[in-house]
Order: sequence, then C-alpha cells, then structure tokens
Amino acid sequence: MTKRRMFLRMITASLLRRRSRMLIALLSIGIGATILAGLVTIYVDVPRQMGAQFRSFGANMLILSDDEKGMSKDQMDKALEGIPADQLVGAAPYRYIRVDMTTRQQSFTSAGTDFDQITKTSPYFSVEGRYPENPREVLVGKEIAETIGIREGSDMELTWQPAAGNAEGDPSEDRKPGAVLSGSAEGWSGGTVYVTVKLDDSSRIASLTIDAGTQTPEIGGLAQTDEAFSRQFVGKTLPLTPGEDVDALSGATITSTAVVEALNTARSTQDTVAAKTVKYTVTGILTTGGEEESYVFMSLEDMAGLTGSDIVDVAELSVSASAEELEAYAEQITGNVDGVRARLVKRVTRSETAVLGKLQSLVFLVTAVVLILTMICVSTTMMAVVSERRREIGLRKALGASDGSIRTEFLGEGMFLGLLGGVLGAILGFAFAQVVSVNVFDSSITFQPLLLPAAVIVSMGVAALSCLQPIKRAVAIDPAIVLKDE
Amino acid sequence: MSLLELKNVSKIYGDLKALDNVNVHVDKGEWVAIMGPSGSGKSTMMNIIGCMDKPTLGEVLLDGVDIAKENSKKLTDIRRDKIGLIFQQFHMVNYLTAVENVMVSQYYHSMPDEQEALEALGRVGLRERAHHLPSQLSGGEQQRVCVARALINHPELILADEPTGNLDEANENIVLDLFAQLHAEGTTLIVVTHDPEVADAAQRTIVLEHGKVAREVINEHFDEQQKLWLARLNAENKG
Repeated sequence: MTKRRMFLRMITASLLRRRSRMLIALLSIGIGATILAGLVTIYVDVPRQMGAQFRSFGANMLILSDDEKGMSKDQMDKALEGIPADQLVGAAPYRYIRVDMTTRQQSFTSAGTDFDQITKTSPYFSVEGRYPENPREVLVGKEIAETIGIREGSDMELTWQPAAGNAEGDPSEDRKPGAVLSGSAEGWSGGTVYVTVKLDDSSRIASLTIDAGTQTPEIGGLAQTDEAFSRQFVGKTLPLTPGEDVDALSGATITSTAVVEALNTARSTQDTVAAKTVKYTVTGILTTGGEEESYVFMSLEDMAGLTGSDIVDVAELSVSASAEELEAYAEQITGNVDGVRARLVKRVTRSETAVLGKLQSLVFLVTAVVLILTMICVSTTMMAVVSERRREIGLRKALGASDGSIRTEFLGEGMFLGLLGGVLGAILGFAFAQVVSVNVFDSSITFQPLLLPAAVIVSMGVAALSCLQPIKRAVAIDPAIVLKDE
Repeated sequence: MSLLELKNVSKIYGDLKALDNVNVHVDKGEWVAIMGPSGSGKSTMMNIIGCMDKPTLGEVLLDGVDIAKENSKKLTDIRRDKIGLIFQQFHMVNYLTAVENVMVSQYYHSMPDEQEALEALGRVGLRERAHHLPSQLSGGEQQRVCVARALINHPELILADEPTGNLDEANENIVLDLFAQLHAEGTTLIVVTHDPEVADAAQRTIVLEHGKVAREVINEHFDEQQKLWLARLNAENKG
C-alpha cells in the first residue's frame, strides 16, 4: 500500500467514522458554498434577468436615417442584422405623418408602425380594445379619442395631404428611371381614383396599384381588383391615351379614363402625391401616459397605401445588452450601414447600468460577507476538531509524525470537506438561485457548467484558509501529552 | 554494548528538580524496569528517553547520539526510527481499525504494509480482530494492538509507560509474555511501572525517588524465569 493510499484511507476514515462531528464542518462549508454558488449564479445572471426586466421600460436604441427623407425598410433590416438575434427583444419601425380628419376639421400626427413589434419594444402600452390586425384599422391615442369622442369600433376618415406647391411644373419631369409616382383624378360621380406607379430602368411602367376609392364596386371599382385591366399598363411609357394604349373596363369608361389621367398627372412621391382619403376602423384606444396618446397609429402598410411610399423615419429597438455592448452595436451599425445611424437612448441605458452596477455590488458585498462568515464558521469547527483530537494528534506525533505530516493530514481533511461542500454547494446553490430567480425575476436560470468547478475550488480554498489557524494549533501540540495520566 | 546512557541528567522546573543528576545506563537487549512513587521523576525520565522532552542539564546518549542537543524535528526522526512507544492509556486513533492503527505507525516510519501489520496483530493474538474499531476491543486487546504497533517498525528500544496499569491479570500476563518474547528476540525494553510484579519480570529495576536514582535491583532469577517461560511457551505450542 502506498503512502498516498494510506493517507486517503486515514482521511476518509476520519470523515466517515466521525460522521456527526464532520457533518457540522461539512454543513458549514456546504451552506457557505450553497449561498456563494447561489449568489454567484445570480450575480452572473442578474444582468440578463434585469436586462429582460428593463426592457419593459421601452426602447434603448434608435435607428435613424442620415437625411430627412427617411430610410427604406431594407436599410432598417440591414441595420438590424448588426444586433445578435438573441439579444434583440424587438424593433419597432415608425413613420410619422400629419393627417387631417376633414369631417371634424382636426389634424393629427399619425404613426405608421408594426404592431407586433410595438408590444415587444413598448410593453407598457395599454390598449383598450385590441391592436389593429387587418388592413385599414387604426389605434387611436386616448387624447385624440377624448377630443373627438371616438370609441373602439368607430370609423375614422383620414386624409393625407401632400405638402402644398409640390405639384408645380410638368409631371413628365418626374418620370425618371426607377421613380415611384402617384397621382389622382376625378372619376365617376365626383369620387377620386388614386394610382401609384413604379417605373423601371427605362422609365416604363413596372407595376401599379389602383385605388378606386368610392367608385361603384361592381363597375368602376373593378379597376382596383381586375388584374387584366391593370396588367395592360405594364411595360407602357407615360403619358398614355385612353382607349388607344389601354382598353377601358367594360361599362366603366369614366373610371378607366380617370386611372389614365391620374397616371398622366402622377408626380414623384418624394415631392408630389395627390391628397388621399381613406376610411379606417378604430380597434382600440391607446393609453401610455406620454405623447403617444395624441397619435393615430396605423400599420406601415396602411400608411404606405395612404402616402404611396413605405419609408421609415425611425426604428425603436429594445436590445437586451450591457451599455458597452449597446455602444459597440450602435457604432457598428452607424459605420457599416449606408444612410443610417444608430443612437442610444441614454436615459434608459444609463439608469440600467446604474441599477445593475448597484445590484451587482450588493451581491458582491453579500458574497464577501458570506465568504468571511463561512471561513469563521469552518475555522471554529476545525478549531473544535483539533482540541477534541489533541490526544490523537499527540499520539501521531509520538509515533513519529512530523509537523508537515500533521499539517498535510488536517489540510487534507479540510480540503476533502471543501470538495464535498463545494459539490453540495454547487448543486444546492443552483437550486437556491433557481428559487430566487423564479420568485424574484419570474424566470428560470440556465445552469452554468463552470459553477461546479468554481464552487469546488472556492470552497476548497476557503476550507484550506480556515484550517490554517487550527493547523497551527495542532502542530503546536506536545506529543508528551500521551504519557500523562489523565 | 550500551544503547542508552543518561549522564548527569537534570530536569529543572523553576525551583523543582524533577530529575536531579541522574546517571542511568541501559545495554542493548537489556530489559529494564523503572520504578518509583508518583512525583519521583519517572514521567520526566520517560519523556526524555522518548525524545519528547530535553533535559536541562546533562547528556542523553541514545545509540551514540546525544539527544539532549537535537532540535525537535530531529528528535521526531529519532523517536520514529528507534523507539516503539506503549502507553498506559493505550491511545489508539479511535476512528481507525486495529490494523489501520498499526499501519499508522508504518505510515510515519516508511511504507504502510497491511500484510505485515496483520502479521504483527497475529503475533499479539489479534489476527481475528484486525478490522475492529478500538471501541469494539477490550482494554487488553487495545493494549496488545499498541504492542503490535510499537514493534511493527522493529525499533531498537521499546519504551512502555505503565503498560499493564489498566489491565486485569490475564491481560497483564499476555503483555508480559509478549515482552519476554521481544526480549528473547533481542529487543531492548524499558518499562516504567509502579507494579512490583511487572518490575520483577525485568532483568534489572532502577528505583527513582525525588528525582534521583535511589537504588538499582538486579533480578537474580531472571534467567530461570526466561527458561520457565520458554518451557511453558513450548508446552503451549505443542499442546
């Protein structure tokens, strides 16, 4: 039998056959390790946990266009690629326009957005009713709702008026390759027909959408839905002559002519689009406590339908990341995506960082206190163990144990306890952290694989440190005590 | 040839002279008893011979080395290498089995060898009880384990402090038989006792009084005793 095996045999015998005594030491190390492992788990997990909590305070990053014209959806999507998908809680695009409610002689700000994303970036939005789900549905801010006395389920007719003075000059000037033009003309019975047309590289019509407005649905209204009618425009060059370049819808010559006329007078959406009126259904009233209460929210698609363009003014992002990470992402997006810049909502990120910092220092402090308490506890227990085993230590010395042997044996016992306590602590500590997390943060923790070795090393270290003083005392025991009659 | 020699050894605690100019000489292979009433200096002398204490004055030559001049580390080495200790209170490691207790002595000395430890236990008649804890052994059995432990490393000197003080007569005889056997094998034995019967088993008795050697008594019947003992042992073996 090797000395090492005998050493292990003695240590395990000491721990196993003196169970009740050693259980106390093990318990103190184990409890210490449990609390430590738990706190460290929480410490590591707190940013994630709290990050998720903070996300309910709203967006912490904005993506803006470099110029006043706004950015395209493509640009926004490209910018979003700069943020890891698992950290991106939500990204809500916004476009703001002025709309008129002519029936009430009121004018509001309308925000086009993506309602699915809004629920993620602005979870504090409170909606009475529901978010719009279908085309031509709007969500109305509480302030507006109260001013004009509108309720969930009401209809609301909104007019978008392009800025005055833009329609000057010849429409042909706007027919540049790739341009998007929109226009309107009077059709049957005073109703307005709207068109939006996209030109290809040779300035021919690539696609068009027709909004027949209030034209009789079964007759003129077919201009909007009859594909054969709209398809014949594709590939043609503006201006067009009614009846020559395109065939009229049967029985709807006036509407068909109005479509051609609208096309011929269509102007670039950048500066000239005809005013357009669309009727919307109110699905809910929005309460936020902020300026959003004076907005009318509609989907970006509806807003594109109203204005003929699908640009985005700003995207509000909710990102679960540290302040440093956020800054890095913002810098990267600003640098890598053309025409777009990212900005942090400092008010939110700063308070997050401050709260996290305080919370982490609190956990750190508690961890340090627990560490010290554990050390005192283990040290006291080991001290008691040493005085209880004075005779045995004296005997070992009398049998020829050197000071080094006594040291190694007690350190060995202490470290063995530390090992057991560490394993116990890592397991119980994870459970403890899990309970805290579920109760406080309402979410579960993923087990950190590093926790086990870390807990074991720390508790072995603590056990070793705690043993120093008791060992000193053990070494000082006089072997002659075994000779005295007691 | 002398194994141990105390020359003018004194141990002084303040005003008290525990040992006062003591001269003692023990030959290799000799069996010596040290007697004396409480406070006569027996324990002090035992501590000094056992390398657990140093005299205030004088020389203590153990196998030619003056242990009075060595530091405690060296004393530990000498004690481990040359001396086998047996105590009145038995002193076993209470969470180790009989064989493990014997192996502890091997562990500090050189290499633990369970087989050898079991053989030593067999020699003291405890082969069957080798895997019992001290709490499962009687006092006599514990002391026999201690004898096995003391002889496992083949020490030059076995130093026993009241080895039979806590034993009944039957066990006392077993232990004394073991001593006789060790003596026959050439081991030097120093037995501190106040039991005249135990002292009578030795070749020579040194009587201490007030820290001084009062007298030395030679056991004239020792050779006869050994012969009788051998005859009895042979008879037992044959029987």
